[in-house]
Amino acid sequence: MEVTVKIFRYNPEKDARGNYVTYKIEAEPTDRILDVLEHIKGKTDGALSFRRSCAHGVCGSDAMRINGRNRLACKVLVRDVGANITIEPLLGMKVKKDLIVDMEPFFNNYKKMTPYLVNNSPLPADGRERLQSPEQRARFDESTKCILCAACTTSCPSFWANDEYFGPAAFVTAHRFIFDSRDEGASQRLMVLAETDGTVRCHTAYNCTDACPREIHITQAIGDLKMAMVTGKLE
Amino acid sequence: MGLKRNVPLSAALGYKGQGPFLAFILHRVGGAGMAIFITMHVLSTFAEMRGLAIGDALNKVYTSPPFQIFILFCVLFHAINGLRITLLDIFHAKLMPHYRKIIAVEWVVFILVFGFAAVSVVATAIGRM
Ligand code: SF4
Ligand code: FES
Repeated sequence: MEVTVKIFRYNPEKDARGNYVTYKIEAEPTDRILDVLEHIKGKTDGALSFRRSCAHGVCGSDAMRINGRNRLACKVLVRDVGANITIEPLLGMKVKKDLIVDMEPFFNNYKKMTPYLVNNSPLPADGRERLQSPEQRARFDESTKCILCAACTTSCPSFWANDEYFGPAAFVTAHRFIFDSRDEGASQRLMVLAETDGTVRCHTAYNCTDACPREIHITQAIGDLKMAMVTGKLE
Repeated sequence: MGLKRNVPLSAALGYKGQGPFLAFILHRVGGAGMAIFITMHVLSTFAEMRGLAIGDALNKVYTSPPFQIFILFCVLFHAINGLRITLLDIFHAKLMPHYRKIIAVEWVVFILVFGFAAVSVVATAIGRM
């Protein structure tokens, strides 16, 4: 089938602002949007820039707006979006070139969540693992699936308005550690989440939950965090 | 180097969020509508106290049936949607997985209540003619 692909282009060395370039190419309905981009880059326009790595929905590097919604280019098929495809960079981030955005603010917010296990207690008597029951693990299982693609954070109106807002991806990371029974850094993280750029700015637009390629129930995770902040309980 | 991160209103409104995003936008439209109404009300009262003609003009605008229907939309949507948000916040563990169905219920309730209110406004306006 013939597909018409409209892509946002911006070259910082030449352009004062971005513009759209339209390409017409042949593609299979089962091709992924990433294949379409590779085709254009390989055959028509070698200067087209976008991030990709694993091409299998694992690394999280190719999040972009596809027909107006944040998606991973390697997880969306042509038949899912039709013959007219518009591809744009994520919203709310500086565009460095074409579909490549500056992820620095996103990762700065991620770092504020202390994204690693905090445990200063002595090791168990046998000196081996800190055991956890399946129920304890289930409490944060969902939030371990995050691949830091930023599709959620850049679909959030609160983040569009202010990139100091930690954003849903940071909250998912906080959730992953706060509800881990082996972690001891919950109170410190909850203090950070209570700041003005924390969970209070989540106004439940659900764009994040809709955008997440890992189908994490992000708004529910944020609800867990809000409840923990109000009640002081992690159960 | 790079384009600024600003998200223009057109780009924000053009984002293809689903039903919940529409509710999020309409909630803000409702809030803005009520703020406009209250401001007009305060200004018109103030102007009428001073005998300024603008007071009467403002009064005519916000007592007109189209404006009343608009303000009913704002108040009712804001209230019903606010109730939905509050319930989801409080009972999030149980209700969040069903948020799409809950929004569908919200629309049914809203359409019934708003429809009844709008018809009453129109019937009253026709009765006055
Ligand atoms: S929560 Fe989902 S959308 Fe957000 S960064 Fe993680 S994988 Fe991406
Ligand atoms: S290229 Fe790795 S997630 Fe798409």
